[in-house]
Amino acid sequence: MTRPSDTSPMNRRGFIKVSALAGGGLLLGTYLRVGPASALAEAGPAAAGDFAPNAFISIASSGAVTIIAPNSEMGQGIKTSLPMIVAEELDVAWEQVTIVQGDLNPAYGRQASVGSGSTVGNYAALRRAGAAARAMLIGAAAERWGVSPAECTTDKSFVIHAGSKRRASYGELAAKAATMPTPTDVPLKGVKDFKLLGTRVAGVDNPKIVTGAPLFGIDVKLPGMMYATYTKCPVFGGKVASANIDEVKTRPGVRDAFVLEGIDGLPSGVAVVADSTWNAFSATKALQVKWDEGAVVSQSSAEMAKQAERLAKATPPDALPTGAKQVEAAYHYPFLAHATLEPQNSTALFKNGVMEMWTPTQIPASGQGLVTRGLGLAPKDVVVHITRLGGGFGRRGSNEFSIEAAAIAKKFEGVPVKVMWTREHDFAHDNYRSNGWHFFTAGVDSAGRVVALHDAFVKMQGGPGDMGAGGFPFTAIPGSKVASSKLPAGIPTGYWRAPGDNGNVWATQSFIDELAHSAGKDSVAFTIDLLNAVPAAVRPGAFDSAKMKTVLALATERAGWGRSRPRGEGQGFAITHTNNAYVAIVADVKVSRDGKLAINRLIAAVDCGTIINLSAAEAQVQGAMLDGISAAWFQKILIERGAAGQTNFDEYPMLRMDQSPPIVEVHFIKSDAPPTGLGEPGLPAAAPAVCNAIFAATGKRVRTLPIMDVDLKWA
Amino acid sequence: MSKYTLRVNGQSRSVDVEPDTPMLWVLRDALGLVGTKYGCGIGECGACTVHVNGAARRSCQMPVSTVGTAAITTIEGLDAGGKHPLQQAWCELDVPQCGYCQAGQIMTAAALLKRNARPTDADIDNAMAGNLCRCASYLRIRAGVKRATEIGSGSTPARGGQS
Repeated sequence: MTRPSDTSPMNRRGFIKVSALAGGGLLLGTYLRVGPASALAEAGPAAAGDFAPNAFISIASSGAVTIIAPNSEMGQGIKTSLPMIVAEELDVAWEQVTIVQGDLNPAYGRQASVGSGSTVGNYAALRRAGAAARAMLIGAAAERWGVSPAECTTDKSFVIHAGSKRRASYGELAAKAATMPTPTDVPLKGVKDFKLLGTRVAGVDNPKIVTGAPLFGIDVKLPGMMYATYTKCPVFGGKVASANIDEVKTRPGVRDAFVLEGIDGLPSGVAVVADSTWNAFSATKALQVKWDEGAVVSQSSAEMAKQAERLAKATPPDALPTGAKQVEAAYHYPFLAHATLEPQNSTALFKNGVMEMWTPTQIPASGQGLVTRGLGLAPKDVVVHITRLGGGFGRRGSNEFSIEAAAIAKKFEGVPVKVMWTREHDFAHDNYRSNGWHFFTAGVDSAGRVVALHDAFVKMQGGPGDMGAGGFPFTAIPGSKVASSKLPAGIPTGYWRAPGDNGNVWATQSFIDELAHSAGKDSVAFTIDLLNAVPAAVRPGAFDSAKMKTVLALATERAGWGRSRPRGEGQGFAITHTNNAYVAIVADVKVSRDGKLAINRLIAAVDCGTIINLSAAEAQVQGAMLDGISAAWFQKILIERGAAGQTNFDEYPMLRMDQSPPIVEVHFIKSDAPPTGLGEPGLPAAAPAVCNAIFAATGKRVRTLPIMDVDLKWA
Repeated sequence: MSKYTLRVNGQSRSVDVEPDTPMLWVLRDALGLVGTKYGCGIGECGACTVHVNGAARRSCQMPVSTVGTAAITTIEGLDAGGKHPLQQAWCELDVPQCGYCQAGQIMTAAALLKRNARPTDADIDNAMAGNLCRCASYLRIRAGVKRATEIGSGSTPARGGQS
């Protein structure tokens, strides 16, 4: 573990010349390196004479190339794939590159790792950053050799002048390149000329992961560090009335315990500060708090279900066209926890007016914002180091743990404090995936065409997850309508991998399958008919039915769609357009007579534009599919008396290896289009594909999640 | 507080901690071996898996006062050079996603391979079912265990990262 040096965070020094290329606009200001004070620091100080043309790249005279990874790594592979984009245009040998995790810094542009947007949002800027540096290296070589830059090429960290058979390494050219003007407009490579992008590149942190080296927020350790918990009211919005603080203070290893109240952005709670994690956890178990529970105590999942039905009845469908057959179904999905395997945590050190923080966060700027507002500090005095995240899934976009750590650390000037959530705290205080209800009414005419579709949709007030009425399948159906209603706020909801789509695509794709059966048509042919009715895409990012038909054709072809199967075995499919990627998934399941489900195979076809890192892309789609199935099969958070009813993995099961399908294929459509998001698109269609396969196998329609609670017995 | 002398990764290590402190937190906080991870604290997730006299055990369920002189091996001590066949296979096949569970996965798999050098798919699934991977990297974990058996038996590296 790197020891914080004596370098104060205040004693920063300018690092590099910031170009106009990085974030899109002209960046003024200087990239500030916060000494080697990081507990997990990877960056050595840049030496004089290094070539550092922009915030992302530095090349030493030794030839060592360092590329900054600006975004938070949580398993989506971004710490590898974003630097790959720079390396591609810079034309360096990947093996010679050192990747350094960037701190929160405006020079890095979009550092929020949410919405499958890290690659989409940084692709152009990182390509320009790499290409500009390459142009300056070529310029340096051309000037040295007295030749035209246009006659020079590059390969694996060398500038080459073929005419005179001269070569110079980037290292040799670094000092001179640093004196070259930063180009304002540089040509980028054609996709067909990519050497690195699209190949399989292993994660840069793998050697550390497999040997147990410190990487994650929970691994941060600073000299003299204290360990804290922060206990909030299990009923959302409740406040501390009284607590046995004096008794807790007598517990082994406890240094202090106190109530925190009235800090903007920090819920009322009790801090327990101890000399080790275990002593903090033990003392927290002995903590007895009397809570003012507040109004949310009246909320429960059971009551919400009744309210949802009442709300849906208030938005009835229009009369169906004459002669149409009515098909009705109600779908429900529950609250979900994120349950990142690394519980939430953050470490803070308050010294000389500066709050220095080490946080596994998806949006470091939001943590900084919470701390500046809550504690009255200036943004420049809240320094955020981004650690590796033991899973994100949307959970770490909010940053309660940041303000908790900072608020506690501010009471112990000069002493670092790590706030560690217990697993039970983590389940009790999530920003859950909202529960949701879809009350569908459709009309099918005598030719089997859908001539009306009404969706009375209900979810919690606030947070993401609304139904877009403009997307497929609604665009394809004449007179289709989504009528949205909201349950009262109170239970905190937030972004959970593929927000909205993670539940809504399950409901809509399951109901479309119902309609196909009702119309007496093959469900793939039925969907193709619907896709044929979607208006042509008129703007970039709009739904493109041709792309969807392509992935559907590929997935069904690879899966051998349409082959007849014995009772108890079934195949189902579903499609989704998520984060602008197109995904079709075919699932093969087997259900025993006594209702035991086995998922034997998943086949996905994906159009996500240009692939950056094939290994990570494939892993993301595989993992997202299984994540979707894990949630749909096993998981629910039930609210009782305004609190989450599940406290740990024994009550909130997760897919295990022996339940994981043995075959999971991912087929990518070859594309030169810019990359779409890919952390989330693999998820939404997996559960409906499985549920449609269950129907094919058993004749039983899963309309309420989790699947585990549905009786799948057949005779 | 009580003093204990433990055998960790082949070394004798002394700690002064509360007797009920689970080995997980002794390793992480007292000994600075943070490769062993906290996931649930109730033995459900497997992130804290270590070897006790060669067998895979949940360190969150093991109070330090019960450990005695048992030989504890953590991910940091699995192989002196970090080149255990599983560690090699994990890098070769790019197994980790977030990576948080992987030390526990590797320790469970290492105990399996020690008692069964040629596990079948069912053997692997049975042995690994106690280790959760929230990213669901199960396909590559399964492939990684198989690849490690090849590396362990001296087979040459076969393919790229295809899982």
